[in-house]
Amino acid sequence: MSIHDPHSDPQPHSGHGPVTRPGESADRESAADHHGAGATTTHAEHHESHGGIGTYMMVFLALCGLTTMSFFTYSSAWPWRDQPQVGWAFMLAVSCTKAMLVVLFFMHVLWEANWKYVLTIPAAMMAIFLALMLVPDIGMRTRMVAQERALYMPRQSDVRLMEQAGETGLPGAEPAGH
Amino acid sequence: MTASAISLPHGDGHDHHGPDAHGHDAHGHGAGHGHVHLQYQPGLPLSRGKLIMWLFLSTEIMFFAALLGSYVVLRFGAPAWPLPHHVHLSEPIGAFNTFVLICSSVTIVLALEAARANKSELAKIWMLATLLLGTLFLGVKAYEYSAKFSHGIYPWSPRSRVYEKPDLYYGSAVRARLGEPAMIDQLKTLDDTPEGSLSAEQRTGRERLRQIRTMITNPDQQPFDLAVVADQVMPLASGGGHGHGSGLNDVFPWLRLPAVIPGGNMWASTYFLLTGFHAIHVVVGLIVFTILLLYKLDRRTSGMIENAGLYWHFVDLVWIFLFPLLYLF
Repeated sequence: MSIHDPHSDPQPHSGHGPVTRPGESADRESAADHHGAGATTTHAEHHESHGGIGTYMMVFLALCGLTTMSFFTYSSAWPWRDQPQVGWAFMLAVSCTKAMLVVLFFMHVLWEANWKYVLTIPAAMMAIFLALMLVPDIGMRTRMVAQERALYMPRQSDVRLMEQAGETGLPGAEPAGH
Repeated sequence: MTASAISLPHGDGHDHHGPDAHGHDAHGHGAGHGHVHLQYQPGLPLSRGKLIMWLFLSTEIMFFAALLGSYVVLRFGAPAWPLPHHVHLSEPIGAFNTFVLICSSVTIVLALEAARANKSELAKIWMLATLLLGTLFLGVKAYEYSAKFSHGIYPWSPRSRVYEKPDLYYGSAVRARLGEPAMIDQLKTLDDTPEGSLSAEQRTGRERLRQIRTMITNPDQQPFDLAVVADQVMPLASGGGHGHGSGLNDVFPWLRLPAVIPGGNMWASTYFLLTGFHAIHVVVGLIVFTILLLYKLDRRTSGMIENAGLYWHFVDLVWIFLFPLLYLF
């Protein structure tokens, strides 16, 4: 990583100024990492001092649109109501897109130098391993359980029983249970 | 700082940190007799505050990843998990709160832009807007919490009225509650209330309550009867039948009868832990914004705004994952 940047020398401590200014050289680095079109937009936006209000508004609208999209799975118009897995995958994809938008634009990571990978990639990997390590002990904890425990743990059959009870209603009352 | 570095003998090994860290300084001073102008070269092209904020955020990533990961693993390993409407979660309210946090993320970015452009008044307005939006988020969250509490959903046991299944333990809990002296008095008052002073809902509710009281004390009750009792107290079904929100606990809030939500206790633990930790982060953010509002928000303080913004965006980021995981899964 090239750190020495003549541009940052005049005022090394003035708040954020020099931090972004070395980005000029660092940006070229990161632009080289991004391919093709990504690199050109990075440069174009950098000249307007990191995106500017227009970019932020576009990101904001995209975030609102994506929130509406994930909320759409809740509405009755969602076509895969009987297959929740489709909705889960969809919402996770939407969430990851939203997270990327926030991290890249609002947190300015798109315009940062390569140090961003040093901090984010190990943390993200640790996060993933952490969750995976929980799977055998906790995720599969009810695959095989003692009979005694099985007696007292809630089951999907309890939900069905309650729903059935709702349909039957009280013995004396009318069938709808109103 | 430099003076102390010089005073240490070179390569002494007495304090490895001093000579190593300032070796360049010491050498420069020794050779040039203080005439060499030294330049501070940061190890990374970012300010120390920002570096520390990013290091902190990377630990925060792991903190919330652990919480979210355990939630997902607990949820998908659970034999039964409540649907959002079983636990009185309102998806539209959650979506609204998502919108509020997204807006606050935009306003803090705009505050930073304004500060960098030296428009301190504008920056202050955006910062204030962020503070207000964050407070609105917390207000909505508090409202949601109170809705859970009013339905007896607590993450701790003496207050929680959530039972996992309509079994004998549930039946005895309902009997115990109905047998409390204060409850007996209140039930007597309800029985003595003339028909005219009750609403239609309360009249049918009173009738249902009477039937439950005989069912729960009937020694010949069938296991299915307990499911009927549980359904009358707090129905799981959202549509059809008597519908959700018309359980006896809703008609007579003072009843506070135990309710059955399969998987509800684990749900409450994870929900309150996840949203609680997130809410604590929001509170910290609001404190930071309040402190920042005391400063003149211009180019000199824009570094602080940027760091506060990074933190706030992270809080937003966590909610971006919390919202679908908690409300829509």
